[in-house]
This record gives sequence, C-alpha cells and structure tokens, in this order.
Amino acid sequence: MQLIVFIVATLMVLVGAVGVIVRKHPVHAALSLILTLFGIAVHFVALEANFLAAVQVIVYAGAIVVLFLFVIMLLGVDASEDLRTDPITAQRPLGAIVAVAILALVGTSIIVSRGILKVTAAGKAVKAANNLRDLARSIFSDYVFAFELTSVLLVIAVVGTVLLARKLPKPEPAVKS
Amino acid sequence: MLSTLLASDVVAPFSSPKIDYHALAPELVLAGVIVAVLLADLFLEESKKWVLSTIAGFGLLAAFIPIVTLAVSGHRARSMFGGAYVVDTYSLLVKGIFLLAGYVVVLLSQNYLEEGDYYQGEYYFLLLSSILGMVMMGSSRDLVTIFVSLEFLSIPAYMLAAWRKRDLKSNEAGTKYYLLGVFASAVMLYGMSLLYGDTGTTILKGIGAKLQNGSMSPVAVLGIVFVIIGFAFKVSAVPFHNWAPDTYQGAPTPITAFLSVASKAAGFVALINLIYVAFPHGGDVFQPMIGVMAASTMTLGNVMALRQTNIVRMLAYSSISQGGFILMPLAVAGGKSSGNALTAIVTYLAVYAATNLGLFAVIIAVSRKTRSGEVSSWGGLFSYAPLLGVLATAFLASLAGIPPLGGWVAKFGAFRAVITSGTNWGYALAIVGAVNSVIAFGYYGSLMREIWMKPVPDGDTAPIRTPSSLNAALMICGGATLALGVVPGIILRFSDIIKL
Repeated sequence: MQLIVFIVATLMVLVGAVGVIVRKHPVHAALSLILTLFGIAVHFVALEANFLAAVQVIVYAGAIVVLFLFVIMLLGVDASEDLRTDPITAQRPLGAIVAVAILALVGTSIIVSRGILKVTAAGKAVKAANNLRDLARSIFSDYVFAFELTSVLLVIAVVGTVLLARKLPKPEPAVKS
Repeated sequence: MLSTLLASDVVAPFSSPKIDYHALAPELVLAGVIVAVLLADLFLEESKKWVLSTIAGFGLLAAFIPIVTLAVSGHRARSMFGGAYVVDTYSLLVKGIFLLAGYVVVLLSQNYLEEGDYYQGEYYFLLLSSILGMVMMGSSRDLVTIFVSLEFLSIPAYMLAAWRKRDLKSNEAGTKYYLLGVFASAVMLYGMSLLYGDTGTTILKGIGAKLQNGSMSPVAVLGIVFVIIGFAFKVSAVPFHNWAPDTYQGAPTPITAFLSVASKAAGFVALINLIYVAFPHGGDVFQPMIGVMAASTMTLGNVMALRQTNIVRMLAYSSISQGGFILMPLAVAGGKSSGNALTAIVTYLAVYAATNLGLFAVIIAVSRKTRSGEVSSWGGLFSYAPLLGVLATAFLASLAGIPPLGGWVAKFGAFRAVITSGTNWGYALAIVGAVNSVIAFGYYGSLMREIWMKPVPDGDTAPIRTPSSLNAALMICGGATLALGVVPGIILRFSDIIKL
C-alpha cells in the first residue's frame, strides 16, 4: 500500500513538473503545476503530516496557482507564445546550469544530513495523529474570534474589489480637488 | 498511514470557549449595522441612498450604548479567549474615541458623497468595517487578533482612498497606500512569527513574561523591531511616511480626515497594546528606536509642511508631525513615567481627533464654495464666513498648542511624560519637541493670516452655505476641542482609569 501510494504520488509530481516546462500554453503549464503540488500533498499524507498536506492543497494548489492563472488572464496570454526567442540572452544555458546546481545542492544536503537529523523532545510530544485535531480545536476555541472575523474580511474584500473594478454608471459632473 | 487520518478513537469532548456577549456587544452591534447597510443598499432606489448615511450614523451611536453600559457596570477587566481579547476601561475609552470619530466622518461624508456621485452604500459599508477593525484593535491582546484587526481596518481604507475612480490622483493614492501597506504588513507579520517562535505564545501577556531586558535572544530583538516598524508605517512615522502626503491629497477629503485621525489612532493603540503588555521589559530595544523616530517625525513633518501651498497636503505633513508628538511619550514607556506616558498618548489621541476632524470639516465646507485646495483660496475667509473663520482659527491654534484649547493640554501631557522620566533621552526629546512646536506655528500661523488679514482672492464674498450634517460635525469637534481645553478635569480623570 505504502509503496503504491509512493509510486503514484511521485509520478504525479514528476509528470506535473515536466508538464510545466514542456507545455507551450501558459494555462496548461499552470495546471500542470497543480498536479505537482497535489502529488506533494499526497506525499505529506503518506508521511502522516496531515496539516502540511492540507496547507499544501489550500495555499499552493488553491491560492498560489489561482494567482498565477489570474496574472496570465490579466496579461491576456490566451494563445501559445512564441518560445523560440529568449528575452534574456543565453537564458536557456543559464537555466540549465541553475537547475543542475540546485539539484546538486539539495542532493548533497539530503545525503549529508542522513543520520544527523533527530526529532527533538518537543516534536515527539506532539502525536502526529493529533495535529489536525489540535489545530481545529485552537481555531474554534482560542482563536475563534479572529477566525470568524477573517470571514467578514473576505466579504469586505469582495465588495470593495467589485466596486473598484466596476464601470461607473454615468460620468462624474466635475472632478473636485 | 492513512489509518491515523481516519482514526475514530475516543477523544475528549470539545468545550466551547466562554463568550461574554455584553463585552462583545459594541462589535456585534457594529457588525449588525454593517450587514444592514449592505442589505439596505440593495433595495434602495438611487434617489433614496441618503438613508444609508443615516443608518450608518445611528448605527455608530447605537454601538456606543453598550460601551456606556460596560463603563458603568464596574471597572473589572473582562478577558476572553485565554487573554486574547480584553475589555477594560482603557479599551472602552479608545473604542469610544473611534466610534465618535467615525460618526463625525459619516457626517462629513454625507453631502460630499451625494454631490459627488459615488457609490454610497458600499462607501458606508467599507467605512463601518474599518471602524469595526479599530474598535477590535482596542481590545486585542494577542498577536493573531492584532493582525486580523489591523487588516480589518486597513483593507477597507485602501479601497476608500481610491474611491474617486475617475481621478488619477485618487488612483495613485489608493495604489500607493495599498502597496506600501501590504509591504509593512509583511514585515510586521515576519516580526510576529519571530516573536512567536522565540516565546512560544501569541498572547501578549505571555510574551511580556518571557522578554526581559538583557536576556533577550537576537531573534526576539529582531521580532520587536519588525513589529514596531510595521505599525510605524500605519502611524506614518518617519522614515515610513512617504505614502501619507500623496494618499491624503488624492483620497476623498472625508476619507483623508478618517485616515489622518482614526486610522492613525488605531496604529497608536496597537503600539500601546504591544509595548505596554508585550514588551514592558524591552525598553532597551524599543526606547532608542521610537525616540529617534519621534524626533525625526516631528522635525521632517514640520519642515515639509512649511513649504506646502495645498491645504490638504500641508495638513498631511502637519499630521505626520503631530504623530511625532504622540510617539514622544511612547519613547519613555517602560520606565519611571510609564503611567504618565500612557495617559498622555490617549489624551493626545482624543484631542487630536477632535481638532483635526474639525479642521477637515472646515476644509470641506470652504471647498464647497471655492472648489480649490490652495492656501490662497482661504484669503479673507473671516470677512464672508465669520463662524468658519473663527472655528478654523480655533482648530489651528489647538493644533499649535495654544491655551485654553485642547491641544495645549495634550502637548502639556506629552512634555510632562518625557520630562518626568528623568533620563537624558527624555530631556533631549523634550527640547526637540519644544523647537518643533515653534516651527509648527509657522505654517499654522500663515493659514490664520490668510483667514484674517488677506483680501478675498476674486472678490467673491457670497456667504458659504453649510448643510446641517456639516454644521453638526463642526459643532461636535469645536465643542470637544474647547471642552477638553477648558475643563481638563475630564482628561485628568483619564489617568485613574487608563491602566494596562
């Protein structure tokens, strides 16, 4: 079971990552990124980091990719771009070098840190199974006021944004200073 | 693996938090009014939109009732959510200031909006939301609640600053305010996360118990500095003031009044909560920082104000410099004169709110006739609008700190706080403050000279007709400015009830 989940999640991550680079249409690339981020969320669930999994889905797959899509929409990139010319000279070789360098950095740090990292006492005290429950409890007890008000805040943001984005019904008579 | 996620083992039953509905009543009433305004806006015809300002005004006064009942029901602090939300006499006092200031802003907005063809319903909705955020800030004693309150009061303000959509200046005002505000929020949030990481709690009292002078970790020092920087932006302290003049000039005038008074006061209330509850033993970190900010804020604000020819822009710099005076007592907080400093700041905020809102009411009244924001357009104001001329002079004199007006009592309190601290810091600040009081008279005086001595610019001496809402605002502010000055007993009572 564990192995199957690992393989499936890893495939999601890799296919998504390749898709981000290969797809020519920016919207498709952004959607591929969602696949990658979901795969990572599955990995988190498999490692019993349930809270991180939820945050991964809500923040990355939800908020950040939606932001990407908004930007793409606002810039009006609805057709595939001409990718043959580079905006910065020697962009591609530089990108390849940076990619290899990051891979080397992450790889070395994983190899070096094996056996060094330990779970501290504070970390052990928190049972993995309870972290979602504890979080839910503190949201609905100690932080319930702030939590409820955040929902009102979203309404405020929606009302204001709609108003600022809407066209005026008729022109203002005169602009006052 | 997944079994833990789907586990159905026996858990302790959830006990809901105790909520004191009487203590939360001002916030709940205000939230109800906000919803009422938004719903009423849907069903009202365009010609009946004026009803909304009435609802907003009465709603603010209705929210004031529970504040009075709470104040007379005993001086015991009501603490909720494990100390995250505390309703005590200090918080009731600042909530009262916010609600009254908000009421005056509604009065100022009424005719401005009707004549200017703006979206009225949403305007009052956002204005009330921002006031709700300020009211919450008065009671917030926890990092998370403070942050939510801050966003609650800022986000509507960003949008209100850009409310004159067809005017490029207003767009600039909103954009600048928003971008710099978000940046400051990010810095502050980073500081908060450092504080939480170092102390392990978000409750201010818990943080205060952990942070001690001399034994603070570098992380905590960085946290304190970042959090104070975040709020320094809100109170437009130098060097985080760059947004203020452009935003004040571009925003609709009632919103400028609101930003320069209520929004600034909310920033100071947050700073007070943090410094007095969370960092009372961190004076080594925040005192020099706030001292330097206070001195440079009043000096730079004053020097820049001297060169302005636009009234609103001049008042923007004047409000920056007044912010320096309010910061001054905060620089000696935590020391011997801690109590004095706290009283001085709250007094200054109350007086400054009454005076500055009054001055903006005069500006709105005069610009109804002159349609200009230049200082020269005020020439000979006294000859054709004597009452406005006298009121404007009184407000300017109060801002300059001339007895017997409120501003004098406020300045006296601020100077007393820094001098009784008995530190060299305090004396140095007092000297800088005294020099600045004199400089400030330069531009307040030049405006007075326009009113009394200069000729009317184009010979147009038709009297100014002020609508009744504007008259009411002028009377409230004028009365408060005078009363706080002649009956300082009101303010002296503050020191008995303001304790943190």
